[in-house]
Amino acid sequence: MISARDLVKKYGQVVAVDGLDLKVEEGSITGLIGPNGAGKTTTIKIILGLLRPDRGDIEVFGESPWDNPGLRELVGVVHEKAYFPSHQKSLDYLERVCRIFGVPEARAKEVLSQVDLEDASERQIRALSAGMLQRFAVAHAIIHDPKLVLADEMTANLDPQARSSLLDLVANLNKTEKTTFLLSSHILPELSRVCDSVAIINRGKVYAAGKLLELYEKYAAGVIRITLENPEKLAAEVKNLPYVEAVNIDARGISVRTAKGKEENLYEDAAKLAKKAEVRILGIETGSASLEELYRLVVTGERKESQE
Amino acid sequence: MRRSTHKGKPFLEIFSLALQEDYRFPILEIFAFLYSLGTFIYAYPFFQGYAATLSEQSAYSMATTLMGLPLNIFIILMFKNIAYGIGSDLEKATIQTLFSYPLKRHLILTAKLLSAILVALLVFLGTQVSALYLLAPEIVSSYPVPVFLAYLANVGYALFLTAILLLLTLKTRRGGLAVVFGLIMYFAIAVIQGIASVIEYLGHIDWPSRVMSIINPATVVGKYYTSGPVMGLSSQWVPTFNEVLLYVFGCYVIVAILFAFCYRYFSRRLSL
Repeated sequence: MISARDLVKKYGQVVAVDGLDLKVEEGSITGLIGPNGAGKTTTIKIILGLLRPDRGDIEVFGESPWDNPGLRELVGVVHEKAYFPSHQKSLDYLERVCRIFGVPEARAKEVLSQVDLEDASERQIRALSAGMLQRFAVAHAIIHDPKLVLADEMTANLDPQARSSLLDLVANLNKTEKTTFLLSSHILPELSRVCDSVAIINRGKVYAAGKLLELYEKYAAGVIRITLENPEKLAAEVKNLPYVEAVNIDARGISVRTAKGKEENLYEDAAKLAKKAEVRILGIETGSASLEELYRLVVTGERKESQE
Repeated sequence: MRRSTHKGKPFLEIFSLALQEDYRFPILEIFAFLYSLGTFIYAYPFFQGYAATLSEQSAYSMATTLMGLPLNIFIILMFKNIAYGIGSDLEKATIQTLFSYPLKRHLILTAKLLSAILVALLVFLGTQVSALYLLAPEIVSSYPVPVFLAYLANVGYALFLTAILLLLTLKTRRGGLAVVFGLIMYFAIAVIQGIASVIEYLGHIDWPSRVMSIINPATVVGKYYTSGPVMGLSSQWVPTFNEVLLYVFGCYVIVAILFAFCYRYFSRRLSL
């Protein structure tokens, strides 16, 4: 559905995308995850044909996306910052979009209700709040029942309830209409709710991509989560263990990736080290890495490999 | 998957959207009022004089007097439409939304330009033609060529300025900045044109006026129909009718090249 090979895009001296390879399979919900400035928006703009890459090939449904009207009938888009002709009324504008795509105008009301904006149908677009505008952008993206929806930070500006309902909508469209989604976000917990595949992007490169379960298997197998007080204290000790490959710290504990078959050793050693450092362990569990941890493990692991 | 019931008309929808945005109330009303005011109130007092002397020269002078103020209003309206219709779409990235519709880029630009330029031109010419036939029908029917050439030359110059402004808008992607540059350019050309005339009359050379006529063919048309001495000094250049046609045609060729360049940039180079 989307195939990008060796994409490079520079803005002056800044390399936004640096040899990026990406494949999105039909019917999937793929998360394009990475920190701010990782190259997610640039990648999406290249896929949409808004930017020409300096190098590399991009195909969407087997065609070049640049100035390709036929492709736009198959693709819906939610930009990070949505802009519409601001003096138009919400419903009027969506009815116009229906006429543009040749779908019945009744569809406009339908999508407004899907994003809980029925009450704002007579409001001018400029009078919508940031969150409402984001939901309006989602309605606009799905109005012509595209086969593929690209969404760049779709849930930014939304309250938790609106986020949740939009993610439900994504999951539902994927299930009932078989719509493929490429969702870019740096808010990982919400992506893990709906995505079945991810592409982990950092510094303009895809570090790892594939089915979420396979990536967990590959990168997060042997990850042990230790919940404790003062995680920094124990992390410093655990890092020195010879079979430990990576340690990630957060406020409530540490996630440790060990060499294959060494999980049992860590249980014993962690208990000893905690006792020595006078730190109380609250819990230990295996195979419970979050998407955020997976991201860290992939990125730090890749760096380690490239340094070696 | 829901199927389309009929093929949409994206071009007409984008065009009508551009019309609504460019001429939303009360912009069209204000400009139509200014056109009418400039045409009928400002120019009317001069008409009795022109009507008394039926000649090519008076027909040309009548046409230039009639379009004097409205031409400036027309240029300002086109500048506003380009800067705020196309410039602000680029600046605010509304153009990304338009690029998500099933329409080639050059058709999106065409829809925007039809709204920005053609509608403004039609209102301008509509008011002018009505005024000509209402106020001085004999002159127009007796001497249509100087009247026609006067409009062709002045509209050509206005389109030249608009093409430059469009190019600036596409390059800078900032409507406000482009319109400031456009207005500076407009006044700078007027000043340069004045200097060129002074050089011609005092320096006894004709090339400054010839150069200015390429950009603004109203200069050459004016020289052809009103070639008498100015403050005792004679013009160094009395163009032939063929030269007049050549300069007017040349201006339109330049305008076409500039617009073609804008289209090429918009379709092939404009990255967002």
